[in-house]
Amino acid sequence: MNPTASQSSIVSITNVTKDYTLGKVVVPALRGVDLEVHAGEFISIAGPSGSGKTTLLNLIGCVDTATGGVVRVAGQDTKQLTERQLTNLRLNTIGFIFQSFNLVQVLSVFQNVEFPLLLQRKLDKAQRRERVMQLLEQVGLANHAKHRPNELSGGQRQRVAVARALVTRPQLVLADEPTANLDSVTGQNIIDLMKELNQKEGTTFIFSTHDAKVMSHANAVVRLADGKFLDRISAAEASRAMAAGDH
Amino acid sequence: MLQLFLIAFRNLGTHRRRTLLLGGAIASVTALLVILMGLSTGMKESMLRSATTLSTGHVNVAGFYKVTAGQAAPVVTGYPAILEQIRKDVPELDFAVQRGRGWLKVVSETSSIQVGVGGIDIQSEPGLRQVLQIRAGALDGLAEPGTVLLFEKQAKKLNVQVGESVTLAAQTLRGASNTVDARVVAIAADMGMLSDFGIFVPSETLRSLYQFKSDTAGALLLYLKDIQHVPVVQARLRQTLTDAGHTVMDHDPRAFFMKFETVNREAWTGQRLDITNWEDEISFITWTLTALNSLTGVLIFVLMVIIGVGIMNTLWIAIRERTREIGTLRAIGMQRTRVLLMFVFEALLLGLLGTLAGASAGLVLCLAVNAMAVHVPEVVAVFIMSDTLNLAVHPSSIVGAMAFITACTTAISLIPSFLAARLKPVTAMHHIG
Repeated sequence: MNPTASQSSIVSITNVTKDYTLGKVVVPALRGVDLEVHAGEFISIAGPSGSGKTTLLNLIGCVDTATGGVVRVAGQDTKQLTERQLTNLRLNTIGFIFQSFNLVQVLSVFQNVEFPLLLQRKLDKAQRRERVMQLLEQVGLANHAKHRPNELSGGQRQRVAVARALVTRPQLVLADEPTANLDSVTGQNIIDLMKELNQKEGTTFIFSTHDAKVMSHANAVVRLADGKFLDRISAAEASRAMAAGDH
Repeated sequence: MLQLFLIAFRNLGTHRRRTLLLGGAIASVTALLVILMGLSTGMKESMLRSATTLSTGHVNVAGFYKVTAGQAAPVVTGYPAILEQIRKDVPELDFAVQRGRGWLKVVSETSSIQVGVGGIDIQSEPGLRQVLQIRAGALDGLAEPGTVLLFEKQAKKLNVQVGESVTLAAQTLRGASNTVDARVVAIAADMGMLSDFGIFVPSETLRSLYQFKSDTAGALLLYLKDIQHVPVVQARLRQTLTDAGHTVMDHDPRAFFMKFETVNREAWTGQRLDITNWEDEISFITWTLTALNSLTGVLIFVLMVIIGVGIMNTLWIAIRERTREIGTLRAIGMQRTRVLLMFVFEALLLGLLGTLAGASAGLVLCLAVNAMAVHVPEVVAVFIMSDTLNLAVHPSSIVGAMAFITACTTAISLIPSFLAARLKPVTAMHHIG
């Protein structure tokens, strides 16, 4: 989906800083980052290791809090929300895809995908079943609904994670290096799937990656370096910059 | 919620060895608790059955009569009128009997013993037939005056058989020595401490020995339809007998023979009534129950501490292993309370399964012990008032033991579960290990 299709801002980050304290040393992870993400965008966050990609995603995902600045997600200032409200925001507005899939090993594929719906308590059993099976169809795992995660390949597990992230129909999906643990073909399939869902459902995707191929699918690439916002460029420009060795 | 149970259940299944070890420990403690409770209840039931037949009713209306200020006799004078009033005032009454009470010397040709004596009307004592196991002679022999029932150990010490005579010697209320000859008509199996110091003779023989009138009894033993009514009946009788003009002594929860010193010291003369219950009359041996219950409590406490440390440790390991899972679940929208519940459920399930197995094993063991009629050493028999081990296991005590241990294991799990729930999602998600 084109970013101009909707101009409403789903993520708004203003002068955000994040410091980590390691013993007596304070390590700045983000140093005054500004970022605006509109609904329906498919954005990649790029940068070398230690540039602050994961920290930024954590702040947007409300799993961590900023040291300074303002983080707004779906119009809400995350600093003003209680722990319970933040959890509800994550449950109802944000979907997560993790680098190492992070599925619950003792639950089946169906149960893993259904889990966020159970937490929401909005749908009855039949509606939940329909929603989960529909998503499993979309990610091509309808026949594996009863399998446990350890019976699946890495790519299949990540597809389950994608289905779990999307099952609540969130406005925003955050993916932290979703293809890092996958081979290139499987990684490509996952990105294609995310792109397809972005275009079909209008879900906003923000993902971090090192991979130029993966980056090439993004509407825009936000580049970070040493915890600072470097620039926001197109995927083509990002690829050229990477080819030139400019991270 | 069901999903949380499912996760808890499957996690237990995934870590089978750990679950089996900890579940086994919980099961062992539960089995031990069921067995000890069975032993305690069995002892209590044996005591109740033996005591309420041999020496006390559920409620007793007894008393002391003092001719002079310094000499008391354990008698109730004019008992028929009192009994009539009791029958009117106590609708809970099943039946009542009068017993003579005394302390005398039994002399045979070769030996003598000091014992307490119960004067009974054998025809109106249905309970005695059920409890006494007659080894020689016949209980109905006590219908004749001048007869006596001894217990095995006494007969052995006196070296007498059924049909042989002994002499009963006692002091009358006025201090004169008196004797009667009595023929041994029955020898009963020993019944612990209560049978060590007691014999039975017909009421008439006892009255003759002590030179009591026919309307004098040692105590009126009241047996209720439901033993739960003891406190109510006891309180009511205090009131109604006082209202009827009798002097009723303050409640003193001791056996009658332990009150002589106190009563003899008091300056009054005449008749005073003493209303007691079965627990008061055998209070001198119920310390064994208290001791057993205390021992059970200490043992279970120590074992629960060990189990508690085990459960805490196991949950710590589980939480450490599943820190990333906790982070993920928190990230996708699980509230802290649900994370807490997830781990509490795990401990709850472990507790339920462990206690169920333990209670079943304990029950089977108790039933097996009862079926085998295991004989206990004499010194133990004295206290449990039975020569065989009786483990009384009731459904309520099994459910109680299960609920107690499950509640303990669940409560213990709250600390690590709470700390798991407090983990910040980002910290948990990036946990390594």
